[in-house]
Amino acid sequence: MTLFSIGRICVKLAGRDAGRKCVVVEAVDDRFVVVDGNVRRKKVNTRHLEPLAETIDIKNKASHSDVATAFEKMGEAVWDKKSKKPAARPRRVKKARAAEEKSTKKPTKKDSTKVVKEVKKPVEEKPVDVSKETAPEVVEKADENPVKPKE
Amino acid sequence: MPRGMYKSGRLRKIFVKTPGGKTTVQYRQRKPSAAVCSTCKKPLLGVPRELPAKMANMPKTLKRPERPYGGILCSPCTRKRVQQEARSQK
Repeated sequence: MTLFSIGRICVKLAGRDAGRKCVVVEAVDDRFVVVDGNVRRKKVNTRHLEPLAETIDIKNKASHSDVATAFEKMGEAVWDKKSKKPAARPRRVKKARAAEEKSTKKPTKKDSTKVVKEVKKPVEEKPVDVSKETAPEVVEKADENPVKPKE
Repeated sequence: MPRGMYKSGRLRKIFVKTPGGKTTVQYRQRKPSAAVCSTCKKPLLGVPRELPAKMANMPKTLKRPERPYGGILCSPCTRKRVQQEARSQK
């Protein structure tokens, strides 16, 4: 029974997860263990861990979801992977330019392509290419969209 | 003779050889002192030593290590500090 047995709560000392709580999930050898919890699941040197008095009951090689439920019971935060998709930012459109686009009722080919590019909606792009008759309607819709977030 | 403003030592000198063979003196701004650890006063690794204008244009992640106390404490001092915090919490 070593100090860093499975279920031991520790605090990471080194790296970007320093100062966060974790639990030993797997003992690789006498020096390295796998930790999980409020940190990235990782094999770490025990010299980079500060053991605490508490232990929890978890299986050997417990999955991240098991550790997460155990940590939530303790009232500790759990590290969660951030979603890869960044949040959509509202695009800025200059007031003067937006007014110009509204005033031009029948835009030329170049104008229509420009407006579609600004909005970046692949669904609306297709009808512009296929049928030119529907193009002005699409442009009017596109004009409304960039103004909305400002209000 | 150099101008008065160049005699104070505020700017560092660079000796440049011109195509004509002469050696001329150019004056450049001095770089700020290196960032040091606030406890042990050793120079910090991972913190660039650049002019303020260049530092302002740099992203945050290039200016300091991505860990708690990054850019303020060196890594051994960070470990000691975090260890003390963990022990004092109990």
